[in-house]
Amino acid sequence: MRVLFDSFTVLAVSAGAVFFLAGTVGLLRFPDSLSRLHALTKADNLGLGLVVLGLLPQATGPLVALKLITVWLLAQLAGAIVTQLVARAVRRENQEA
Amino acid sequence: MATSWRMPMATDSRNLLAGATTRAAGFCVLWLVLAGYSLGDLPAAAVAVAGATFVSLCLLPPGRWRVSPLGVARLALRFPGQAVMAGVDVARRALDPRLPLRPGFVTYAPRLPPGSARDGFCALASLMPGTLPVGTNEDGTLLVHCLDIGQPAAAQLAAEEAVFMRAVRDG
Amino acid sequence: MAEFLIAAAGFVLAMVALGLARILRGPGDADRMMAAQLLGTGGIAALLLLAAGTDVPAAVDAALTLALLAAFVAVAFVNNAPRTDAAERRATDG
Repeated sequence: MRVLFDSFTVLAVSAGAVFFLAGTVGLLRFPDSLSRLHALTKADNLGLGLVVLGLLPQATGPLVALKLITVWLLAQLAGAIVTQLVARAVRRENQEA
Repeated sequence: MATSWRMPMATDSRNLLAGATTRAAGFCVLWLVLAGYSLGDLPAAAVAVAGATFVSLCLLPPGRWRVSPLGVARLALRFPGQAVMAGVDVARRALDPRLPLRPGFVTYAPRLPPGSARDGFCALASLMPGTLPVGTNEDGTLLVHCLDIGQPAAAQLAAEEAVFMRAVRDG
Repeated sequence: MAEFLIAAAGFVLAMVALGLARILRGPGDADRMMAAQLLGTGGIAALLLLAAGTDVPAAVDAALTLALLAAFVAVAFVNNAPRTDAAERRATDG
């Protein structure tokens, strides 16, 4: 059972790391601010989701697992709202320029 | 951004009380999950829950949103698949040596009227594959940034909005 | 397992650092604002991995705080940026 849980963790966390890599590559390569914002919002959020998913089998109790999910939910909520704010700021900068 | 910090006058006080009780219960659960259970924490927990409930009632008075539990469940079940598709789409484009991007703007006429429910939909849409609402045009339509303007973004947004509107609407 | 989780935390942190180097170059303020968001998601992931890898559950609380701080930083930035811009323009014009 332990082996099964551990391999699930390794798989999910590795997949999460790949999306953090992709998010950073997108930040480096995408040509404009809004495209970079896509990379940041979508790839990194999925990366965090996969890391949390992978850590769930390692949680020492159901309360710890629930806490991990809560942290993920809050990060997701804050991320979605902040993305909207940044997008509006980019648009304002483009209009001023 | 102008937010009044006065206690909201709900249409009837029973509505306000029901809203306050539900939210206080929700914040109690959140406290238990985040801080764990300990009797010594009780005063701090009471202050935190009361404060959170008050602020929440000020910012979103009860009755402002009509929420359908079944609709929210459907939205929540749909979300993980969409988030994975969005992440895979961005990752594929970023890691492809040819960098297949056709960034540009499309306008989308939302069925949701301007208001907090529409803002919520915009926040959700920014997590969906390829779309990123950046603001409202003068004629009330949404300006949406797309990673690939060849994709059917408007149809996708319309489908997403239909699911969202069954979950949350301005009351 | 612990070694793997700590290594993964290191990798995510390296990605965050690389992304930060790009973002802080700008050119716009909005680009720099994304730094808060990048530190938010990446920092939370790294802290959660460390919490599990080193058996320090308090690191989860640090991750939670980071999530809230990142959101506040961005909101403060958006609320203040246009006003300071306008003030600077008045100062250079006048």
